[in-house]
Amino acid sequence: MVLLQLDPFLNELTSLFERSTEKGSVWVTLKRSSLKSKVQRNKLATAGEAIEYRCLIRATDGKKTISTSVGPKDHQRFQASYATILKAHMTALKKRERKDKKKSAEADKREGSSKRPKKALKV
Amino acid sequence: MVYITSWDEFVDRTVQLYRADPDSTRYVMKYRHCDGKLVLKVTDNKQCLKYKTDQSQEAKKMEKLNNIFFTLMARGPEVDLSEVTGKEQTDAQPAKRGRGRKQ
Repeated sequence: MVLLQLDPFLNELTSLFERSTEKGSVWVTLKRSSLKSKVQRNKLATAGEAIEYRCLIRATDGKKTISTSVGPKDHQRFQASYATILKAHMTALKKRERKDKKKSAEADKREGSSKRPKKALKV
Repeated sequence: MVYITSWDEFVDRTVQLYRADPDSTRYVMKYRHCDGKLVLKVTDNKQCLKYKTDQSQEAKKMEKLNNIFFTLMARGPEVDLSEVTGKEQTDAQPAKRGRGRKQ
């Protein structure tokens, strides 16, 4: 599994979503990680150096796995693009039913108001 | 593990779980287009918290949780979350970064 840069990751994520529309799922995992091995971490700890953590992001459709990482500087930009992709692809979720009721109520009102002037004209 | 039904409870408990053990807690989102289902999971390998939904309304709430976890994981578990949950996060950003560097 290779760590991708942010933009290639987002592109790959988009194609994962597109490939799984008919069947299958997409998993996205967020985890805090230093991206270093335990030995390296111990070395840094004994040297008294601070361990730098980043947010590791992994995505899979069960066959292909992609990953990237964001630090404190770029997570906000990534967050925004990630949210856009999710919004664009999570279209199978149900919309609220209340909205439909409101729409039909409005439609009734319009019909009602349009009828009145017509009647007035006839008379 | 039983699904948590209240969204607010889910958010509170997941953040608590993460703060208790930031190194081994992960946040997983699973989306299944053909069934229109979304499952969120946060686990530290001992405890597992899950939330399930099929409402697009809930996806917006998830976006906020995503922001919370991105911030917690990229900047560190001690970050003040009131900025992230509030809308004026861009204004408060520079001050926050400065604090991070000093550590």
